[in-house]
Amino acid sequence: MRLTESIRISWRAITGHKLRSTLTTLGIIVGIAAVITFMVLGGGLEQDVLSDINTEEDTGIQVVTQADTGFGGGQTQSVPIYTQSDVAAVSNVSGVESVTPSASLSAVQLTHGGETITGGSGSVYGVTASTPDRFESELYNLTAGEPFGAQNEAVVNERMVDLRNEVGGENLTLGDELTIQLQDGRQLNLTVTGIVDQNTGGGQPRVFAPLEYYDTSVETPSGDEERAYPALFVRAENVDQVETVKAALNDYLQNESAAAELKTDDQTIAVQTVEDAVDQFTAFLDQLQLFIGGVAGLSLFVGSIGIANIMIVSVTERTREIGIMKAVGAKKREVVQLFLVESLILGIIGAFFGVLLGLGVGYLALTVPGWPMVVPYSWIGIAVVVGVLVGVLAGLYPAWRGARVDPIEALRRE
Amino acid sequence: MSQTQSLSTDTVVATRNARRTYYLGEPVHALDGVSLSLPAGSFTAVMGPSGSGKSTLMNLLGCLDTPDEGEVEIGGQRVTELSDSKRAHLRGTEIGFIFQTFNLMPRLTAAENVTLPMVFNNDVETGRRERAEQLLTRVGLGDRLDHVPSELSGGQRQRVATARALVNEPSLVLADEPTGNLDTDTGAEILRLFEELHAEGRTILMVTHERQVAEHAEQIVHLVDGEIAEVEQLDTDASNKRTVTTDETH
Repeated sequence: MRLTESIRISWRAITGHKLRSTLTTLGIIVGIAAVITFMVLGGGLEQDVLSDINTEEDTGIQVVTQADTGFGGGQTQSVPIYTQSDVAAVSNVSGVESVTPSASLSAVQLTHGGETITGGSGSVYGVTASTPDRFESELYNLTAGEPFGAQNEAVVNERMVDLRNEVGGENLTLGDELTIQLQDGRQLNLTVTGIVDQNTGGGQPRVFAPLEYYDTSVETPSGDEERAYPALFVRAENVDQVETVKAALNDYLQNESAAAELKTDDQTIAVQTVEDAVDQFTAFLDQLQLFIGGVAGLSLFVGSIGIANIMIVSVTERTREIGIMKAVGAKKREVVQLFLVESLILGIIGAFFGVLLGLGVGYLALTVPGWPMVVPYSWIGIAVVVGVLVGVLAGLYPAWRGARVDPIEALRRE
Repeated sequence: MSQTQSLSTDTVVATRNARRTYYLGEPVHALDGVSLSLPAGSFTAVMGPSGSGKSTLMNLLGCLDTPDEGEVEIGGQRVTELSDSKRAHLRGTEIGFIFQTFNLMPRLTAAENVTLPMVFNNDVETGRRERAEQLLTRVGLGDRLDHVPSELSGGQRQRVATARALVNEPSLVLADEPTGNLDTDTGAEILRLFEELHAEGRTILMVTHERQVAEHAEQIVHLVDGEIAEVEQLDTDASNKRTVTTDETH
């Protein structure tokens, strides 16, 4: 029997039960659509974050503390262990142009234009103390204004502007005054000099203020009381020196620094270039996508059980037809072929519409955060292969049962 | 027991001392040593009470089943020596089945039903439509090619089934109670069609429990308890009458 012929006959069987065939393929459609949607969203997020970063040209190096355990290669922790002496030592490393400590301030209240802004919509804002050098990095994109220069100035990110809009009243713009009440009782009056894009600030509404406001100190191993920061931002003199500076920083920080003594055993000092950060982010995203893809894959599995189930019903229902076909000369192999082609068609249709639906839903979902559309070609390929596999595997047992039908018994049925 | 008889050259189907036993708690000999040769062009009826082995004989001759002992030969090939798929091929090319319940594919049109055996036994896809049209015209359904079985009457369905049985020019047409589900008039039409096919030189074996139906054949093989009790020759005016041969074992 020719393949075209079995496709024709199987297609007749599928269209003969339209509702049943539709419901059967729905399991596959939903499974594949879920996978594709998550891949579109993940790809969009990745593209959105990475598109602004030119990893080749950035001279920035970040020093943070990570917990050894954690999903996605270590979680960054905010512990003040990089002392003022460490900062001084790092700035003397050859090739280092500047060192910028970074720390967060514990704010309890933020007011603007007479309105108190709380963390609306479940998002909490943060206040970061740093130096203006920081805004020279590729990771920080000023969309308006300029970095803060003196005391009493600040830069906000676009998420902060959005948060302000949610409260109502005045918009937050350049030149406005913010009042921040800190946990330790101090009150800061800051004038907004610049706005950075929404990716800057770790996904939260954030205010960047001068480092002078930060005053956390720790007792160093040598017994002195020194100011200490949870993170350092180092800038190399030029791009070619980034890797050597990174190595030198690692050497100093891991072995000789106060931070090496102050950190606990399950914490690691991580020296990362922008490229490292991007790699880490990508690796994390890949793991997340794989995880969510796995969950979505489960529904594919359920979908394939649906196909197998309906094919078994179909074989039972068509026992007599199988008997007729065998009586007029159909071989076992040909009966197997008919049912396999049928479930294969169901699988392929499911994959086709699943991909379409997944891309559609993904596209719509991307408009909410405003991420770019990245078509996940490799995942579309995988989805089609999985659809075909699911079709074949789900059809194997029913087809085998069909082939075993005894024509004598089958033809006796009413 | 019988001696093995050599088959004459124009014998299309023969059984030699065929025995088929079912085990339903105790062994039941559905066929207990049946030897029967059908010459080309013969029209034979098989009669017998229920449980006499009619269906079993039919299944053996139709290559749907194999004997536990003895031989079945179809078109010169020993069925017991063939693989499963070779037997399927033999069914498709040498045998044309006609059933009491028509057994048409419900979703296929009359023309597609007629050419169904070609799907499994013939890779050529061209000319099928013409073949279906030719055969359906032959059985009087030239204007019903694209009707599905549910749009046809019982008599028309049996005509489609008859056309299907002829599509691969089989050596033997096997009809199992072909009029059993039809009213008397429609049944008579089908039997007239069979007589026409017989006149064209086709070999037909028909199982029935109605004497009146069986009398359309040239001879009646009477089965009792899985054995041939009698072969009755009927008076027909056919000058070149062909008769079955059996080995009398008792």
